[in-house]
Amino acid sequence: MAGGLVRALSDRFPELADTLWTDEDTVEIQVEGSRNVEVLQAVRDDAELGFWWLADAAAVDYGPDRDDPRFEVVYHLFSDRHPAWLRIRARVDRADPRIPTITGLWEGAMFHEREMYDMMGIVFEGNRDLRRIYMSPDYRSFPQRKDFLLPDDAADSAAAGVVPLERPETWDLSRFREGLTSAAAATYPPTAERTGTEQEVEGGETLADQSRPR
Amino acid sequence: MTAVDPEIRIPDPIELDRAEEERLAARFGTAPGSANEYAGFETVGIPDRPPQTEREAEMYSLEEGEMLLNMGPQHPSTHGVMRLVLKIRGEVVTDLDPVLGYLHRGIEKLCENATYTTVLTYVDPMDYMSAMHNEHAPAIAFEKLYGIKAPPRAEYIRALVVELNRVFSHGLMMGFLALDMGGITPILYGFINRDDTVELLASISGQRMLFNFFRVGGVNWDVNDEFINRLSRWRAEVGKAIDDNIALMTQNEIFTQRTKGMGVLTADQAISLGVSGPNLRASGVPFDVRKAHPYSIYPELEFEVITRPEGDTYARYLQRVAEIEQSLHLIDQIVDRMPHGPVQAQVPGIIRPRPGRAFAAIESPRGFYSVYAISDGGPNPYRFRMRDPSFISLQVMPKLMPGHLIADTMAIMASLDPIMGGVDK
Repeated sequence: MAGGLVRALSDRFPELADTLWTDEDTVEIQVEGSRNVEVLQAVRDDAELGFWWLADAAAVDYGPDRDDPRFEVVYHLFSDRHPAWLRIRARVDRADPRIPTITGLWEGAMFHEREMYDMMGIVFEGNRDLRRIYMSPDYRSFPQRKDFLLPDDAADSAAAGVVPLERPETWDLSRFREGLTSAAAATYPPTAERTGTEQEVEGGETLADQSRPR
Repeated sequence: MTAVDPEIRIPDPIELDRAEEERLAARFGTAPGSANEYAGFETVGIPDRPPQTEREAEMYSLEEGEMLLNMGPQHPSTHGVMRLVLKIRGEVVTDLDPVLGYLHRGIEKLCENATYTTVLTYVDPMDYMSAMHNEHAPAIAFEKLYGIKAPPRAEYIRALVVELNRVFSHGLMMGFLALDMGGITPILYGFINRDDTVELLASISGQRMLFNFFRVGGVNWDVNDEFINRLSRWRAEVGKAIDDNIALMTQNEIFTQRTKGMGVLTADQAISLGVSGPNLRASGVPFDVRKAHPYSIYPELEFEVITRPEGDTYARYLQRVAEIEQSLHLIDQIVDRMPHGPVQAQVPGIIRPRPGRAFAAIESPRGFYSVYAISDGGPNPYRFRMRDPSFISLQVMPKLMPGHLIADTMAIMASLDPIMGGVDK
């Protein structure tokens, strides 16, 4: 179905040809995060490809426990000339989650990027309005990361809750962004801090035990 | 009757005013009645923290004669719970900052902890004016992941219910637009139409608002005689409430004065900002997912993609009126051609698709609604992403509203037809 698109893409980006993947109505390529603007601009402005419509931009967290911990920023594009969606998966380092912004190509990517920043903590360099959009400005953690514990899970986990992520004294996000420059500070949330926070209460019970339904 | 107690003194309003002035003077250090009486007020509404971004610094710094005005979060014209910070000079808006998140429920995270079957119940309350559309995209995406197809009769029933949903959603939008400009009657006609339609949908799905009708691989119930009888009665009467609204609004002098030329959105701007659906087509871009990337049975049906060149509030209103007609035309075709057969494919109780990813997009009454689902082989989606059209459409407000009066910003916002349940997910 999408043979023309596959050919056009492999002509245009021969170095990405081995990442090409298709299903019934999607063609997918994978790029490094730093190349996202270059590739997206190329597929938008190329007369043969012509992907003028940014359908979606979303972040996926391939959690901290995998061999290759990473984020992916996934762009879906539409073109009148091809009967398939184009999916571009841009890889982002999980320890240093930074990627260039694409608001220079589509202004409408602004809310997508603000949502990804709010939910996943990915920093879009060059975005001039990278604020939280759903959570309050003093919120401190990133709820859609896979290592964000829901209250239900927390009862079963060693960390017993999300307490260390939500310290009110650390509400200033600019400090977080400065901290990202050093890779050590960027491993967020700090895993060493999360273990061993289980608090003993009277009777030898833990907080985790208390939060279970009785 | 008792005599008036001489001890009770009714306070003199002028004295109260004077007390208030003295309180303000004590706080801001100005003499009551002086030219600088309102000094200090310009900081009201500015966040009590340093600006985090360039745009925030620009928005919350005021020039001579400007002030900030909070509209919402409980303002009746914000179509839900949203706060608009308007920067105004007199009565004219110069800048605007939408503040979202008051309805945020974390539906994506909830769906990542639910099985594929139960995800379809979680997405209902997102865009609560088009619950059928909310279920349609995940159903398509999960069928792609699982590698099954819904039977033809199920696809026809799906198309029928989503078009019914589109009719009442657009009909209500006409009413809300008039309501935000001070007209009460059109919302009543809009709700007559809406109540008839949801009763019809309740007779097939069992519920009036959050239908929970779609299943992975089909739909919950087959259409029965009761439904078909009601549908033909509904089809004969549906035009009346809509025509009444058109007669009230389309040629109305006040309505046209306040909508023509207001909030003009150009085609380039609309594409760049990700505006979709009727708002995009009202700016002259013929992009409709049902034609551009057909899904379900839409390739077999005849309908037009209507566009309007103007891109103003009035064009966005007329666009909805025209799309209601197209939807009714589609409903007629679907009922005529509906095949016989099962309405549900064979699917196990707990669905475990093979690892993979699927993208599905549909045309909802508010525009381009898409779902991106990733499976890791388990019983619940590893990642479930929804792109809601009204969330992205809200970005145009700081572009459209500067230069208009505060009262007109409400009309422009109503013409974009955002639903906060979808915006905040």
